[in-house]
Amino acid sequence: MIPANLPAHVLLQAMAANFNFRPRYRKYLKSTTGWIDFSVGFRTRANTIAQTIRFRGGRAAVRPRVLRDADAVIVFEDDAAFLDMLSHSSEEVMTMMLRNRIRVQGNHLCVLLFYFLMSLIIEELEGNGISLNGRKAARNGNKPGDAFSLPERPAMRRKAVLTTGRTGPGVKYLEDPYLSGYSIEDFPRLGRFLAAHFNTLPEVCPERAKLLTDWYSRHGFEKKRSGEPWIPELRQAHAFKYLMENKQPIIRDEDLIAGTTTTMPIGAVMYPDSQGMFIWPELRTMSTREMNPCRISKHTAKVLHHHVFPFWMRRNIKLWVGEKYDNPLCEQIGDHLVAYILSKSVALSHTIADFPKLLALGTRGIRDEIERELASNGIDKQKRYTLEAMELCLEGVDAYALNLAAHARKLADQELNPARKTELQRLAQICARAPMNPPETLDEAVNAIWIGWVALHMENTNVGLSLGRMDQWLQPFFDADMRKCETPEQRDECIKHAIRLVSCFFLRCTDHIPLSPDVGKHVVGGAPANQAVTLGGVTPDGRDAVNDMTYIFLKVTEMLAIRDPNVNARYHPGVNTDTYLKRLCEVNLVTTASPSMHNDTAVMTSLEEFDYPVEEARDWSSTGCVEPTISGKHIGHTGCMMMNMVAALEMALNNGLHPLMNWEVGPKTGRVDNGAFPDFEDFFNAFKTQFEFLIANAVQYNNYLGEAHSVMRPTPLLSSMISDCIANGKDLTKGGARHNSSGIACIGLADVTDSMLAIKKFVYDDKFITFAELKDAVDSNFKKHAMLHAMIMNKAPRFGTGSQEALDMANRITKITHDAFASHRNFRGGIYTTGFWSMSNHVAFGTLTGALPSGRLAGSPFTPGLTPQACSTSSLLDNIHDVARLDPRNMNNNIAFNIKVVPAAGESHEKSVNDIFSYVKTYFDLGGMQIQLNVVNTETLRDAMAHPENYQNLLVRISGYNAYFTTLTKELQLELIHRAEFGI
Amino acid sequence: MIMSGDSLIFEIKRNSLDDGPGIRTVIFFKGCPLSCPWCQNPEGRRPRVDISFDRKKCIGCKTCIKVCKKSALDRHPQYFIEREKCDLCFECADNCPTGALARVGRHIPVQEIVDSVVRDIPFFNTSGGGVTLSGGEATLFMPYASSLLQALKLNGVSTLLETCGHFDFDAFDELMYPWLDAIYYDLKILDPEWHRKICGVPNDRILANFERLHARALKGGVPVLPRIPLVPRLTAVKPNLRALAAYLKKHRVKKLSLLPYNPLWQDKMIMVGMPSAYEQAGWMPERDIKLCRSFFKRFELV
Repeated sequence: MIPANLPAHVLLQAMAANFNFRPRYRKYLKSTTGWIDFSVGFRTRANTIAQTIRFRGGRAAVRPRVLRDADAVIVFEDDAAFLDMLSHSSEEVMTMMLRNRIRVQGNHLCVLLFYFLMSLIIEELEGNGISLNGRKAARNGNKPGDAFSLPERPAMRRKAVLTTGRTGPGVKYLEDPYLSGYSIEDFPRLGRFLAAHFNTLPEVCPERAKLLTDWYSRHGFEKKRSGEPWIPELRQAHAFKYLMENKQPIIRDEDLIAGTTTTMPIGAVMYPDSQGMFIWPELRTMSTREMNPCRISKHTAKVLHHHVFPFWMRRNIKLWVGEKYDNPLCEQIGDHLVAYILSKSVALSHTIADFPKLLALGTRGIRDEIERELASNGIDKQKRYTLEAMELCLEGVDAYALNLAAHARKLADQELNPARKTELQRLAQICARAPMNPPETLDEAVNAIWIGWVALHMENTNVGLSLGRMDQWLQPFFDADMRKCETPEQRDECIKHAIRLVSCFFLRCTDHIPLSPDVGKHVVGGAPANQAVTLGGVTPDGRDAVNDMTYIFLKVTEMLAIRDPNVNARYHPGVNTDTYLKRLCEVNLVTTASPSMHNDTAVMTSLEEFDYPVEEARDWSSTGCVEPTISGKHIGHTGCMMMNMVAALEMALNNGLHPLMNWEVGPKTGRVDNGAFPDFEDFFNAFKTQFEFLIANAVQYNNYLGEAHSVMRPTPLLSSMISDCIANGKDLTKGGARHNSSGIACIGLADVTDSMLAIKKFVYDDKFITFAELKDAVDSNFKKHAMLHAMIMNKAPRFGTGSQEALDMANRITKITHDAFASHRNFRGGIYTTGFWSMSNHVAFGTLTGALPSGRLAGSPFTPGLTPQACSTSSLLDNIHDVARLDPRNMNNNIAFNIKVVPAAGESHEKSVNDIFSYVKTYFDLGGMQIQLNVVNTETLRDAMAHPENYQNLLVRISGYNAYFTTLTKELQLELIHRAEFGI
Repeated sequence: MIMSGDSLIFEIKRNSLDDGPGIRTVIFFKGCPLSCPWCQNPEGRRPRVDISFDRKKCIGCKTCIKVCKKSALDRHPQYFIEREKCDLCFECADNCPTGALARVGRHIPVQEIVDSVVRDIPFFNTSGGGVTLSGGEATLFMPYASSLLQALKLNGVSTLLETCGHFDFDAFDELMYPWLDAIYYDLKILDPEWHRKICGVPNDRILANFERLHARALKGGVPVLPRIPLVPRLTAVKPNLRALAAYLKKHRVKKLSLLPYNPLWQDKMIMVGMPSAYEQAGWMPERDIKLCRSFFKRFELV
């Protein structure tokens, strides 16, 4: 045995002995259906370590080699990485994976189980005061249940609101559309809900996972008990119906909306069929983790470990791909987590359901449509199964609604307060009617949508599933309610009630969060479920769509200032009014970060290549972060992957080798130090080649995962609410929807553009240095090259400075990106769309990347979305000019342009609103596509880092989504602080 | 007055929100007939090209020292540059990788300014902004300023002048006035002797010009907004504020602006190697500003 191998063997033997001989450990090897059998191999890249631990029949054994049939093999960069794994917490081990010091081959879920088992032993050792490798025994002091109280609103949260008498053509009832007469103080129950939102730690809810696992354990997953293979659509539908029938009906005290996604006040929904099992190693620690702790009860942990997870540990979207395609290259690259990250393995449901249809027909009407389709002649078996599956799901929705109705009646009977009793009786009526029948009033419509929303989230992961044009779809119901009013007092009360209802709906939408392992803080730092709501814009026939409900939604956005729903507003130049745009700016100023604003014309130009009928294109909604989806008719899985553009640049600089992966994975495009690039175009082409290589692989992987969805996780309920799935008799995972596409988020545009410009200027145009010298400086992180670094920082052309050359370069790079993606088709037959936004991956990827020719130093964040570098200019106008002149046709999955503005001390509210309005309006006039403002100054952010307890509700925009500043990692917080700050 | 070919601009600042209504581009002229010790833009005082050194930007690469033919650099403990030796060849600035050494002031053809201004017209239009001539003192360069103003007006750009008021009225009336949309007119010290002592010139001409412009404004001419810089111990003293208030009231002025003291000019003095004759490090406390405002209760303060 090789020396380094010995301690590994001894340690694993010790672990095995513990599980073999000590009941307190051995019990963890047991599931509700028998012993959990699995094996994990260990080796270093150089094979200095080679071991396997195997658990079988409740006994553990260690073999001094890597067994061929091991479920998974952990590959360590070197011996040190192995020791680090032992001495690090499971969360830190995940970070080691991000840094490519540890990689997993095979079944990653088995490795998670191994980490969990290991964490048990480490926990005991720590309990005895023994520390492995100086590991910190004391974790942070955050106790579960540590509740904060709602702070005084930070000073910069403004109260002043403008008033307007001006209305647009769609506003029928509001005399002051800005609704300046209302504030949160007028709605005491909303204040209490808001306090609960900020004071409640989320808790893992096992309900969904347990019920589904119960059903599948009883009825089989791949095959029925009879041995006959399951039709995936029917299997999913039966299980879903069982889940909905048995889901606990809950109505929160004082709420006007019935039903909850989970059984917890704020629940993390468990989707073991997608990413849920990533928390396996953290089952005992996640309630005390430093960032975004999430409670988990002992009972829940037990249910998950012994019942749910063992069932799913060999059933998973990603595993399916690895097994069917034998760990293809595209998956191997993906597993390094630095070139691309595919969220396709989590969900495909970044989309907008056809709520207008639900509101117009009710579930009964949709079932009638399915019945008609079933009754038509000559439908084949698969179509029949698919349609039957949809019906089963809709029956499940109805069952849940009726359970809620019964529960509301029961609560009403017990209620002593007469006012609340009336509300509960009304809720009982509503749930018994809606969503089965078409609603007639606003409260019925909102509750119908909410019940549908809960149901969709029981079927689909809560990542980016979005709500769509709520103002358009709810206006007819508000209109109907208002028409019934006879006196001014009744009308006032009706408006107030609409504000209250929409607020309750918003606060319901925050009752669940995505379940994220600790490592998620880097990739989707502080992100909520990102349930995008879209306001304003134009109607399908091109008229001004801004209506009473638009302004009611804006009032709610302003009053609550919560991170989710993610409010997006469409502004159509020439059609929407300045009054409306000014209100968007004001709400942004008051909330400090919301809404995100879009230029309808630019977005619709970007969609031209798809030849959508114009009335459908005009009906687009933002999805997840910012991305356009044709409402109710389109599966655009607009957040299918995060693509690191800089990885291709690093590979071009290193002849196909990626430095962090330490892997010669890309094509051999030539060595910089060998004079392989006589002119700039040669190097640009090398970049293009590497990028196209990564894109081809990412796309292939995404297609495999898409196929896995069609087998593992068809979605009959969502399919019944997306146009043409019923007529086609095809699940949306198989391409049943009218429109299909997959959307990419590309990260690092400004970094790649500026790097190209620096190479072109200093190496090729000015011949100031050789390419080899520049690469040398980059490889050494500009150590001993301070002067060159200063030259690059001060004299190179940059995107965002108004330089035509820089703008041309940015447009050229967006074009090759768009064209490369557009040349591929996804599993559902749709095109790939290209966007430039980053969630929090500009920080995550940046941390993993060396210095760049742009002058960016190793480990620093990339710029958020496609925002120019903070150092590019002192003038906001240059930034605005350049971003506005990017060709929208290369950005058909939208963009995130972040700017941070700070009103001068003592500036009047009105002047600040007017200044922001001037920038935003001009940006849109110049053709800019999307803009998101953070209205907060650096001192506030720094103070919030030092005193998080005072800033729990400080809302910020990352790239495409909102988060509370205090839920972000230090790296993300600093990135926000270092963004360019423009005084206004 | 300096003829057009000699005009010097030391900065074109875009996206200004403080030099008139809306979003504005401010053109800073180099050279001023006054010598107020609190001057906010001391680099704009001398009507000739200067060299500046910003210690905060310097990375100490010594490139400049190597290229300097006069051995004028790294010679002065505070200013870095020994300006008696420097012949303003700007070899050092051209080779400085960080921009720590820089030329202050250059002649810019009118068309070049117009080209850089027109790009921002969309911002002017949405915000009600435009171009502001500031300095230094733009009226030192009237023929040039005149061509510039006319070119801007041809492009539909709104124009505003910030002035100290020390100019030849007839020339101003002929060359600049017709193309201005607004004038911000600084009034500092009313007492003639005190004014001469502090600002270097008597104020009779300044006051006479103001009165004529204001009289026209009352009759529908170009609006004139008097602005009073509040400088501790110099302008913000009771007798002066009282006298200014009486003077303005006498001339039926309704609206004026008070500019609380801003200490940010002091670093710039060091950068261009000018000794400071006035010390006041901090910002003006809110209560002092309030006290100053109390002298102007009868006016609309903007």
